[in-house]
Amino acid sequence: MTSIGTGYDLSASTYSPDGRIFQVEYANKAVENSGTAIGLRVKDGIVLAVEKLIHSKLLVPDSNRRIQTIDRSVGMASSGLLADGRQIANRARDESYSYRDVYKESPPLKELVQRMGLYVQAYTLYSSVRPFGCSTILGAIDKSGPVLYIIEPSGVAYGYHGAAVGKGRQLAKTELEKLKLSELTTREAVFEAARIIHLVHDDAKEKEFELEMSWIGAETNGLHLPVPKDLLEEADKKARDALEDYDE
Amino acid sequence: MQTVDMQQLKSGEVNLGTSIMAVQFKDGVVVGADSRTTTGSYIANRVTDKLTHVHDRIYCCRSGSAADTQAIADMVHYHLQIHAQQSGGRPTVLTAANVFQKLCYENKDALSAGIIVAGWDKETGPSVYNIPLGGGLFRQPWAIGGSGSTYVYGYCDATYQDGWGRDETINFVKNTLALAMSRDGSSGGVIRMCVITEDGVERLFVPGNELPKFWEGEEVLSKSSNRTREFTDDMAIEV
Amino acid sequence: MNSVYKGPGFDFSNTNRNAFLETRGLPLPKATSTGTTIVGCLFKDGIVLGADTRATTGPIVADKNCEKIHYIADNIRCCGAGTAADTEFSTALIASNIEMHALSTGRKPKVVTAMTMLKQMLFRNQGQIGAALVLGGVDASGPHLFTIHPHGSTDKLPYVTMGSGSLAAMAVFESSWKPNMSRKEALDLVTAAISAGIFNDLGSGSNVDACVITATHTEMLRNFVKPNERVQKEKSYRFARGTTAWKKEDIRNLIISEVVVPTREGEEMDTS
Repeated sequence: MTSIGTGYDLSASTYSPDGRIFQVEYANKAVENSGTAIGLRVKDGIVLAVEKLIHSKLLVPDSNRRIQTIDRSVGMASSGLLADGRQIANRARDESYSYRDVYKESPPLKELVQRMGLYVQAYTLYSSVRPFGCSTILGAIDKSGPVLYIIEPSGVAYGYHGAAVGKGRQLAKTELEKLKLSELTTREAVFEAARIIHLVHDDAKEKEFELEMSWIGAETNGLHLPVPKDLLEEADKKARDALEDYDE
Repeated sequence: MQTVDMQQLKSGEVNLGTSIMAVQFKDGVVVGADSRTTTGSYIANRVTDKLTHVHDRIYCCRSGSAADTQAIADMVHYHLQIHAQQSGGRPTVLTAANVFQKLCYENKDALSAGIIVAGWDKETGPSVYNIPLGGGLFRQPWAIGGSGSTYVYGYCDATYQDGWGRDETINFVKNTLALAMSRDGSSGGVIRMCVITEDGVERLFVPGNELPKFWEGEEVLSKSSNRTREFTDDMAIEV
Repeated sequence: MNSVYKGPGFDFSNTNRNAFLETRGLPLPKATSTGTTIVGCLFKDGIVLGADTRATTGPIVADKNCEKIHYIADNIRCCGAGTAADTEFSTALIASNIEMHALSTGRKPKVVTAMTMLKQMLFRNQGQIGAALVLGGVDASGPHLFTIHPHGSTDKLPYVTMGSGSLAAMAVFESSWKPNMSRKEALDLVTAAISAGIFNDLGSGSNVDACVITATHTEMLRNFVKPNERVQKEKSYRFARGTTAWKKEDIRNLIISEVVVPTREGEEMDTS
C-alpha cells in the first residue's frame, strides 16, 4: 500500500477511518483550482458572473461558456471541470422539462435544486463512477422571487444571498458580505459583480481571463439572458478603473 | 365530438352512464352530475357521487367506467397531494387537468373515461377543462359529458351566456342536467352540484322528486277523445 | 413464458392457448361460482352483514353450507360473491396485509384502508379476479359499508346487496330500510333480505349467515337461520323384504388373501 497511499481514496464507495470520502474532497479540490464564479441575489433579480481563465490565446472569445441557461428564467454558473458542468446543465434541463411536462408550470428552483442534489449525490455512492468535479451556482426568479443556490460535489445544496465558488471564493465572499444585497437593483449588481471578479483575479498567477456575466430581472422580462454587450463592457471598464484606483 | 360508446365497456363492468357538467362564472365554477350507476340494466347505485374531490379547490366529474375513473381520480389526488406538499401551495386547475390528461392519453387503449376537471386557482381564477375519451385536453367556458350530454348540446348552446353570476349558473346546470336525465335512460336519480370559489366548496343537492320540470307529454287520447285516432302498429311504443 | 424466472402474481401466459382450444371445441373447466346473495346494512350502532351459504358449479350445488362472510380484521368483515377461489384468496391476502399494516402503524385498521387495498388489487387485475364484495366494519371514524366490484369500482351506501340474489335482496331493503334501526331490526331486515335471495334466486340457497359489527364487539352468527333443514320424511320409502323375486344364489368370498414373504430381515432403527 505504501506506493499507492492508504488506499482509502481509490473509490467514492470507501470511507476513510475518520469517516471522510476522499474522492469527494478531491472533487472539491478540482473546484478550488478553477476560475471564480459568483452569484448575487438582489432586490429584483439575479446576477451571475464568472472569471473564465484563458489557457490559450488561440481560443475564440466567448467560447466554452461557463454560464448556461437551464430554463426560461433559470441560469447556471459552474466552477470546476467544464465538461462536468455541462453534464449537470443537461440533467437540470431534463428535470426542468419533465416538471413542466407533468405540471404545466415552471419548476420552483427549490424543487429543481433538490432533484439535482439527489443526482449529484448518487455519484458519491458507487465505485464505478467519480463525483462531479464542479460546484454549481443556480439562480432564478420563480414564484417566490429571486432565488440562488449552490450545489456542491457532495450533493448538498444551500440557498444564499450571495454565492461564490472557485479559486477566489474567500475574497469574493468577504466582498459580497460588504454589499447590501437586498437593496441593490439588478443593474447595480452587474457592476458590483464585475468589480468582484476583477478584484479576486490573481494577475500574478493567471494573466488572461474573460469576464462572463448573465442576469435575470425586470430588465430582461424575467428571462435568464447574457448581460448586454455595452453594459458588460461598461461594467468591465469601470471595474478595471476601480482596481487601478484601489492599487494606487 | 365523440359520444360515449357503451359497447366499448367490458362485459359486467360498472358503468357511469352519465350526465355531467361544469360551468365557469365570474367568481368560480359550478360542477354538477346525476347520480345513476348501472351494471347492464340494473341500477347498482342510485345516489352515486360522481363529483370527486382531487384537491381543496379542484373537483372532477367522472363518466365512463366507474373502476377506471375512480382509479384515475385516486392517482391524480395522490399526485396533487405530493405537488402541494413540495411546492407549499395549492396546485392550479391546469396542473390537475394535465395530470388527468397524461393518465388518460397514455393508457387510452385500456381506459374508458371521460372526465371534466374544474376548479379555482390563484393564477387564472375559475376554469373548466374537458378531457374526452381519447385523452385530449380542452379548456372551455362550459363543458358537458357522459351519455346524457348528447341530448342537451343544443340547449346549452342556446342558453349559455357570458357574465353570469353564481345563482344563474347553478340554475343553468340544474336545468341542463334535468333535461339530460329525462331523455337519457342511463342517467337519473338526483342532481348533485358543487360551487367552487376562492372561499370554499359548497355542496348542493336536488332530490329526485324536486327536479325542474319541463314538458312531459300529455294524454293524447283523453284530450282529443271526440276525435278517436286509429291505432296502428307503427304507433306502438315499447315499454 | 419460457423464462426460468417466475414473477409474482397471476400468470396469463396460457390465455391465447386456451382461447384457441375453446374454438376447437374443448370446453373450459368451470370455476366454482358462488351464485350468491350477500348484503350489508347500516344501523344505529354499527353494521350488519349477511350471506346465504350455497356454492354452485353450474347447475350443481357444490356446497350446501359454505361460509361467505370472511374475516379481514377484528372490526372488519367482508362478504364475497363471484368466483369462490377469488373471493377466498383476495380477502385472505388483504386480511394478512391489514394485520401487517396494523402492526406497523400500531393502530386499529380502518375500513377505507381495506377498501383501498382491495379496489387497487382488483383494478390492477382488470376484472380477471372475479370477486364482488361487500365490505363492512366499524373503526375510529365510525361505521362504514362498501361494495367493491370485480373491476375495482367502489360504492359507499347505507345498505347494499351483491351477487345473483342482489335484486331480490335489494327489493327488501328498498321497501323496509330506515335510518337509525336497532340491532334487532337490522338483523331481522338482513335475514329477510338474504331469505328473499335464498327463496327467489336459483343461485342462492340453504342458510342465513349474519355478522353484527359494533364499536366494541363483532359477533359472527353462523347459520343464524336455517330455513332449509332436512326433516323427517313423512312416509317410509323402504321396500319390504322379498319384494323382488330371485332365482339363483351364489355366495363368493370377496376378500383376497395373500401371503407376504419378507425378502430380508428388518434392521434395527438407527436411534443414535
